[in-house]
Amino acid sequence: MLQLARVQEVRQRSRRFVTSRGLKPAARASISIAPLIQRGIGWMIFVATCLVAVEVFAGGGFDRAIAAVRPRVVKLYGLSVGREKGYGSGVLVSADGLVLTVSSILLDGQNVRAVLFDGSLYAAKLVRRDETRQLALLQLGPAAEEGAEPAAVDDAEVGPFPFFDIACRRPGDALPAADGAVDCDALLQPADWVLAAGNPFKVAEGAEPVSISHGVFSTRTRLDAKRRVREFPYHGDVLVIDAVTSNPGSPGSALVNLDGAFVGMIGRVVKSNRTHTHFNYAMPRDVLYEFLLEAKTPEVTGDDALLVRSSDSGGEVERLDTGIRITRTAYVRIPPLVDRVRRGSLAAGAGVRRDDLILSINGETVADVEAYDKRMSRLSNNESIVLVIRRGRRILSVRIEPQMSEEAVKP
Amino acid sequence: MNRKRTVGQFGMHSVFRRRGAVLAVVFSLIFMAPTLASDDAYEVRRATQECFRAVATRLRPSLVKIETVGGTQPLTAAPRRIATPIPLEEGSERAPRSQTPFRDTLGSKFVIAGGPVTGLVYSSDGYIITSSFNFVRDPALISVTLADGRHLVADLVARDHVRKLALLKVDADDLVVPEWVSHQDVRVGQWAIALGLGFGGRDASITVGIVSAWRRMQGNAIQTDAKLNPANYGGPLCDLSGRVIGIAVPMAQRPGELAGVEFYDAGIGFAVPRERVDAIAAELMTGRSFYRGWLGIVLDPRRKDAAIVTNIADPSPMQAVGVLPGDRIVRANGTEIDHFGHLVQALYMIPAGETVPLEIERDDERFTVQVTLARSVDLGSLPDLTEPFDPADPQPQTPEDSSEGDGG
Repeated sequence: MLQLARVQEVRQRSRRFVTSRGLKPAARASISIAPLIQRGIGWMIFVATCLVAVEVFAGGGFDRAIAAVRPRVVKLYGLSVGREKGYGSGVLVSADGLVLTVSSILLDGQNVRAVLFDGSLYAAKLVRRDETRQLALLQLGPAAEEGAEPAAVDDAEVGPFPFFDIACRRPGDALPAADGAVDCDALLQPADWVLAAGNPFKVAEGAEPVSISHGVFSTRTRLDAKRRVREFPYHGDVLVIDAVTSNPGSPGSALVNLDGAFVGMIGRVVKSNRTHTHFNYAMPRDVLYEFLLEAKTPEVTGDDALLVRSSDSGGEVERLDTGIRITRTAYVRIPPLVDRVRRGSLAAGAGVRRDDLILSINGETVADVEAYDKRMSRLSNNESIVLVIRRGRRILSVRIEPQMSEEAVKP
Repeated sequence: MNRKRTVGQFGMHSVFRRRGAVLAVVFSLIFMAPTLASDDAYEVRRATQECFRAVATRLRPSLVKIETVGGTQPLTAAPRRIATPIPLEEGSERAPRSQTPFRDTLGSKFVIAGGPVTGLVYSSDGYIITSSFNFVRDPALISVTLADGRHLVADLVARDHVRKLALLKVDADDLVVPEWVSHQDVRVGQWAIALGLGFGGRDASITVGIVSAWRRMQGNAIQTDAKLNPANYGGPLCDLSGRVIGIAVPMAQRPGELAGVEFYDAGIGFAVPRERVDAIAAELMTGRSFYRGWLGIVLDPRRKDAAIVTNIADPSPMQAVGVLPGDRIVRANGTEIDHFGHLVQALYMIPAGETVPLEIERDDERFTVQVTLARSVDLGSLPDLTEPFDPADPQPQTPEDSSEGDGG
């Protein structure tokens, strides 16, 4: 239906194009040959539209991407606990059988199984798990004989498997630049078509190909504290997409662009506190690559799954004393309004005044006193901060340096 | 002819700026169709994604990021100590709302998280149109970031609580006004692209769908299957040429400040089209806000087949036109009324202050009254009847939840 509507749109647009070029209806009245021309053009458009309809829209334009992604996605089966489903999807990221997926309960059992595009069955072993980013890396074992259980994963070489080389870099990031690594920002821009390939609701069985759903890439954004996505400790970048991918079984699906290039992997199902709906997103390729590099570092032994914890927690730091006192009432949801600035303090030196309303701290909006407190408590005493404040009808930005005294208010 | 080149040039602004350039390319593709190779569907896909991006680029100068500071908690999540009402509307001089069954409640167990929202430049002299949904918390301060990076304090001029629009004003006189497309030129099935700044960042987030229907919500909205949610409410829904079809708002076929939240990302979204926006904005500019309209009556909850008035607030619009207990409402605004739900359906999009014809049946006689709907704050209390209205009775009169106390 959608495709038909598109064809109709094209047809109607071309009609209007003709109209706008003055072939109707004035021309019809004055020149006798005009109706013939008009009819002729009309027919040409109609025929051409039909050709377009048959040739262009029938294929959908996604063939290339689908052909690229299908053999590189695996169906995963494992432990099922309560409402947590024991199935999922994964992406082959090396010829020797490394599979990237999302950390979930299904990996906790002893018998994790992977089924490839051709229906072949493998045992999968957990190599590495990251509880912050909620990612996991699996190693496939040898293929199972027809009708038999797959052999356990050992050190023997397996493969080669079709896989996505996810090596990439982002401009200015810390990833070691592999030779010829692609710039992952160049692979995907907002409004680009994206396809997610995986096994939602385990609809695909055996050798059946995985399910493909389509949408566009909306934006790259941070899952920050403001949006407080529940039960998801990861606060880094994600790719927001408008395809519906937050279904059981979808996590671990590959996300590719129109060319079939790997751009991300559907993350675990989370509910957005912002919309209270399931949030459709993917973990970006560079984040996945970072995890893969970590997982491949030598200190990882072949023993049990190694838990990697985020390193950003750090130790206790001394808090920054700006000298700002905020108006406080019993009612917490009031905006952070400066009640007093201690004389000689950092904030006083920076030009913060009484009755200034603080809008943001280092670019992060502080909507109320509670948010202000939280943000301030995360600042260390050697950190410079930029406050955006409202004074009267002006919005100013104020920089507070740890050891600073002169005026620094600029409009 | 090298087709790849054509596609590459397609995204260039100079080409796109001309109205109809998109059509021209689509048109040329049509004529090239017989010569196209097999994977040209792919090229068309490429061209469409370039189109979507060009729409976002074209509209970006007119998009503004709106941030709010302070404001009330959603009522259901309010700490106990502030349970005494924070007025949802100004000028509330009557008894606390909890005493009346006629309340414009938020009525939903819903948390509204913080974060930026989206607005669209309405006029070059500083008016910005957005969704009233973005201000349900009555923020203490609204700030606007223009596309060029200017950060300004905005005044909330007025709100339409019914059509979910709001008008802001900033001190600027050089804003970039987008081109709009008339309601008449919108066709079901055409591409619809929604843009928002709710995810932060400089560039707009993009979601794409088609126009699903028009003249929805009693002619107040165009329906789309683009994924609309708080990240793009208040932002534009555009056509493929980058013209604005409407302003994305949450809506549902029921009254209430948060009606429509059930449709987040569901492929059912609504946008208020140009003609409505213009008419409403003209009123909003004068400072007039639109509130939910009320009749001020209670219907008999036992009758599922007829709308029988059992009690009338004093004062209320229905009292003013002489409606009495026992009267039956048979027709409202041209719609036949068989039960309470019909009445809500007929009136939920009509704001207070507007007049609707109601056909009343009394003792087998029918007559029509012209009722001017009132705001909830202007309704009086319900007189005691022989069967007193019991606020503790869960069945009848909480207007938000399928009650009988409602006038729309």
